[in-house]
Amino acid sequence: MRFVRNLIPLSVILTMGIGVACTKPEAAPAEAPKPAAPAGPSQADLDAQKKAADDAAKRKAESEAEAEAARKAASAAQAEKAASYQRAVQAALKDINFEFDKSDIREVDKAKLQAVADFLKAYPQAKLQIAGNCDERGTVEYNLALGERRAHAGQAYLVGLGVAQDRLTTISYGKEKPKVTGHDEESWLANRRDEFILQ
Amino acid sequence: MTYRGSLGHKINGALLGLGMSIGLLVAPAAQAQTPPAEPRQEVMLEASTGAKLGIAVASAQAPALPEAKARGEFQDVLVKDLDEAGPFTVIRGALPAGTDPASYKGWVEAGTEWLLTTTINRTADGGVEVVAQVVDVKAAQDKKARIAVFSKRYTGREPALRHIAHKLADDLVSRLTGEQGVASTSMVFVRQLSPGIKEIYQMDRDGANVVPLTSYRSLTLSPTVAPDGRVAYVTYKGGAPEIWGQRTAGGPHMRLYPVASKTESHCFCPVWSPDGKRLALVEGDRRGNTDIVVLELGTGKVRRITDSNCINTDPSWNPAGTQLAFTSDREGSPQIYLMEEDGSNVRRLTREGVYNGSPAWSPSGSMVAYVSRFEGKFDLFVYKLGDGKSYQITTGVASSESPSWSPDERRIVFTSGSRGGMQLYTTDLSGNTLSKLTEFDGCQSPKWTRTR
Repeated sequence: MRFVRNLIPLSVILTMGIGVACTKPEAAPAEAPKPAAPAGPSQADLDAQKKAADDAAKRKAESEAEAEAARKAASAAQAEKAASYQRAVQAALKDINFEFDKSDIREVDKAKLQAVADFLKAYPQAKLQIAGNCDERGTVEYNLALGERRAHAGQAYLVGLGVAQDRLTTISYGKEKPKVTGHDEESWLANRRDEFILQ
Repeated sequence: MTYRGSLGHKINGALLGLGMSIGLLVAPAAQAQTPPAEPRQEVMLEASTGAKLGIAVASAQAPALPEAKARGEFQDVLVKDLDEAGPFTVIRGALPAGTDPASYKGWVEAGTEWLLTTTINRTADGGVEVVAQVVDVKAAQDKKARIAVFSKRYTGREPALRHIAHKLADDLVSRLTGEQGVASTSMVFVRQLSPGIKEIYQMDRDGANVVPLTSYRSLTLSPTVAPDGRVAYVTYKGGAPEIWGQRTAGGPHMRLYPVASKTESHCFCPVWSPDGKRLALVEGDRRGNTDIVVLELGTGKVRRITDSNCINTDPSWNPAGTQLAFTSDREGSPQIYLMEEDGSNVRRLTREGVYNGSPAWSPSGSMVAYVSRFEGKFDLFVYKLGDGKSYQITTGVASSESPSWSPDERRIVFTSGSRGGMQLYTTDLSGNTLSKLTEFDGCQSPKWTRTR
């Protein structure tokens, strides 16, 4: 989300640009007729006045179109950048899973943790919360402690890959927030997990 | 060794005090005629054997109340209380219609020793009055002079009819055994309202009057109740798990630990000491280990009493507040350990099974209830200290977890269910008289308390 915040100054500048463009036509009437002669304005004066007004309207329309185009381009760039960030988040922040009553990082999950570390290198502003979770088969209280240990196992591994510890907070939900509601081996494995949550 | 079967539970020195008249507000004529010098008769009871006193509950006479109300809110409540109390067998079946002396023979033939009659009336101020009397029909048959053993008048506002039934059941237990009954007690527990949203609830021991104690719309867990009724629990309402609860009885709920907010501390499993002055709780360290600490509420002083490279959780005080049972995986798998309250003298209690947890020290200090996992589900066990033996209490297809003792040590409340649908049950120590308390799923961590 830090990326979005960086874009704010750009959009502020754009808004200001639009503001300047809009003030120009309003200045036009000030150039128009000097105090009228008793006989009233000549036809030439009226023509000149109309032309000035038309020109002003045209200039206004043109600058509005330009500003609109710029705004659209910026917005598209912003959307693209946000989308690519979201893709990076989706690609990098995958759950890792654990064996029953264990908190050891499994060999198959080390590539996932490397992807998390790479993501954090690519986005130096990003911070993560690591949430440790358990399946339904332990006791409530023991699982809260086991979830602590799983969250810290994920944190320690990422610190080992060079991530600063202060970018990684931990929390344990024990068996209180299952990811899936099934009651079979597959569901239990999916629920024994660390989740990586952007802060 | 682990033994399956009933856990003989002796009530020592229980007295059937025939000369007592504690709490008697209405003295019937028969009682007044009794010679005062009659000696007390000593009765020993085995709760899980057949040595129970047969009590018959005659239909309540309630001319001013609809029959369904008198039956549903009083009669049925009272019979259930007496059934579960332990020292009584409630006599059922074909019973005599009347309760006059001419009918005593019929009551005795049905197995009755005590015949309980009740009359419910409205009082002038709009409340209810229950007059309860017990006649020892067996003694009457044997031509003993004294046959009235209990008589008492109860009053209350009408919604209190259930509570009067509980009070009467407790008084009858007390009359028979000299010990305080548990019909008037309550349960504090966790109830899931929606995924990730759990709150603390309280209800009567028989499952009636379910009321919420918290409404944080958050994850709130692991309640504990002090002897004066103060609750404490874990809540995630601020993000990280903190200990919240009451500093004063009936007072507001506030954060109890950590003392300062926005620390990185994670706290779990608060348990009031028996004197209500300290909280044992579990705190995570920076390496993912969890230790048991003791917080003194008055001073805010905190002592860490375990310090090892492992999980330590589930603290449970002995009744004297001098020792704690807890769960640790220090030797590789979760097992129950005991230690002094300063953390010294740690010794392992459970030797069988690869996953033991949730220790609950019994009110007398002589037993520790716990759960043991076998073939994917938990069952309740009771370890008898001194005997060095464990007894299995539950067996079944469901998983039974989170034991908490009744204050009289006769029953255990626990969660049971399969496929995640956990409800609250109580059982006696034989495992034979199960009672289901709830009609909703998502219950956990019940605590049995005298306070309401």
